[in-house]
Amino acid sequence: MSVIQQVTRDEWRFWHRTKLAATIIIIGTLLTLVSGVVNTLEMQHASHEREHLQQSAQAQFLEQPDRHPHRMVHYGHYVFRTPSALSIIEPGVDAFTGTSIFLEGHKQNTAMFADQRQASGMTRFSSLTPSFLLQVLVPLFIILIGYASVTREKEAGTLNIMITQGINVWHLLLGKYFALVSSGLLMLLPLIVAAVWASINGESALITSSFVAGYILYILVWCGIVLAVSAVNQKNSASFAILVSLWIVLCILLPRIGSSSAAAIAPSPSKLEADFAVKAELRKLGDGHDASDPAFEQLKKNLLTKYNVDKVEDLPINFRGTVAQYSENKLTEILNQFAEKRMQEELEQAYIARQFGWLTPTTAIRSFSMLIAGTSLETHHRFLREAEKLRFDFVQSLNKVHQDNLSYEADANRNKNADATKAARVDAANWQVLSEFSFKPDTAQTRLLRSAIYALQLLFWCGLIVLLLRFAVRRIS
Amino acid sequence: MQKDMIVASSLCVRFAQQTVLDKVNFNVGQGEVFALLGGNGAGKSTTLKTFLGTIAPLSGTATVMGMSVSKDIDSIRQKVAYLPESVMLYGHLTGIENIKYFLSLADIEKSAPDIEQALMRVALQKSAWCRPMSNYSKGMRQKTAIALALLREAPVLFLDEPTSGLDPNAIDEFNRLIATLAADGATVFMVTHDVYGACQVAHRIGLLDNGKIVGMFERKDQAHIDTEEVHAAFSARSQQ
Repeated sequence: MSVIQQVTRDEWRFWHRTKLAATIIIIGTLLTLVSGVVNTLEMQHASHEREHLQQSAQAQFLEQPDRHPHRMVHYGHYVFRTPSALSIIEPGVDAFTGTSIFLEGHKQNTAMFADQRQASGMTRFSSLTPSFLLQVLVPLFIILIGYASVTREKEAGTLNIMITQGINVWHLLLGKYFALVSSGLLMLLPLIVAAVWASINGESALITSSFVAGYILYILVWCGIVLAVSAVNQKNSASFAILVSLWIVLCILLPRIGSSSAAAIAPSPSKLEADFAVKAELRKLGDGHDASDPAFEQLKKNLLTKYNVDKVEDLPINFRGTVAQYSENKLTEILNQFAEKRMQEELEQAYIARQFGWLTPTTAIRSFSMLIAGTSLETHHRFLREAEKLRFDFVQSLNKVHQDNLSYEADANRNKNADATKAARVDAANWQVLSEFSFKPDTAQTRLLRSAIYALQLLFWCGLIVLLLRFAVRRIS
Repeated sequence: MQKDMIVASSLCVRFAQQTVLDKVNFNVGQGEVFALLGGNGAGKSTTLKTFLGTIAPLSGTATVMGMSVSKDIDSIRQKVAYLPESVMLYGHLTGIENIKYFLSLADIEKSAPDIEQALMRVALQKSAWCRPMSNYSKGMRQKTAIALALLREAPVLFLDEPTSGLDPNAIDEFNRLIATLAADGATVFMVTHDVYGACQVAHRIGLLDNGKIVGMFERKDQAHIDTEEVHAAFSARSQQ
């Protein structure tokens, strides 16, 4: 057995006999395991519920009786997004944004944040999810296990004996490093199991292995930090105090400073401000429910000229339906402009916050983890865009039914009496306008490309650790 | 002629502006027990650390078994054994486990009977062999460390204040053990401020004061170095 293996074996023997480290390893592993299991069960339950609700929403829409087509526009429809398989470990922004949207005419009911200023806040603390445990608590467990790795040898004088016995300090540190890494990997086991489970459930093997590799790099970085600090300090107490301070700075303060800085550097309007701005623009469009609104005068003229008639009653199409189509088109353009602007602002904030990955490995793994898992802001934005396209298509299909299948006269007189109301209905067969909504995760290539820079951040941290350990070896030697 | 195992030649060590060792010269032959005696701050530990390669000399040379400490420290470390003042080893391991572990770090394989024989030779009571070292007394820890040195077949032993904190019986036992090792050919270099202990065990004593060797005492025809002579020189230096 090599010296490195001997040191690793003795480190484990020490942890086993001193109980404390063994207890921390067991607690850490159990905690991530339980969190993974609970999250998986919750996700499965949510998935069943989502499937049921999706079918039920579709069936309810299709089961609607003969009625005025515009009532169906307002009846609306729900779409649900199936989260990525890896979201059992990394829920990412889904926890903040939700995974369903109610689609209806004239509105973009986004699943966006309650307050847009929170956009970059998505990189902060979250609930006790497996990813939170792995990113924030596992480093603390590694500190508790390894803060005295080298300092206890110094305090006991055994390091002196080893050095004067001619032990290679690199071998000693590597032995301790591998022991610490193996304890960290033990806490990573639930993640590895979940990744295998995700692969079985259709996730790309390249993605799941990259996901696991990212977390392994993160564990390597933290083990390196812990060992280097322990190696350059003389006392257990000093090593512990420095490491806990580092944990607070790297895992809590810097990610928070990152998101706050992002909000300060790239400010976005509050929801209220944004809503006012949208309302102001929409007012200029006119009311699409009122065909006599002056805003549609030009449309009317163009149609009368096109069909060579004098009044809207003589048009071969229902002018009210045309107005609804025209109005929805214009309104959607404006809503999309605002939505795109808002998404750009959010992305800009997220990008700034993610650059803090050069300052803290926690932000680096968080960005990498969300992007690889497909639970990032980018994926959510794509969901919003696809859902909006579906909304627009189905509303315009109903408006077309309104224009082509319902006469102007019946439509205009629909509120005169009960018979007129009945006459202003179209056949329920026209409700077959819903396209099937199936949100596919981004391809493995897209996710890998997006996350490449954050993988680079993790590698940068690994490089830094090598330098730190070299420094520690020189100090000890 | 006795082969020189440890040689200090015009050894100078300086910390900042203070000279800690000033042209120190001595040599220790094979099978010899050499004690470097001196008060606090005399430069004893610095001399020891220089030979262990943890302090670099400003000038002069320090050689162990003919190898220069400045150039061949890794090779020297493979061959010497060092017993610090407070030998701790690993509290969570038993005496035998400690020995096995340190041997494995030195890439040395020894059989269980070899280890038991070494422990018997240093007179560590058998009941302690499989007890965690955290329960050992200082004397027991020293015996374990010497057993380790024996198993490593280290021809040179460096001891730092080996008898401090030991009771008189343990000191006698330790001195007998060192004498036996020397008789078997081991070279022992110890630093101490224990005049009586040094006179009992050492073949020669170098008196160090303010970084200089100010006296050299050796056994003549007696079994021990004359304690009174050494004590008188030591006291005279202390009062200056």
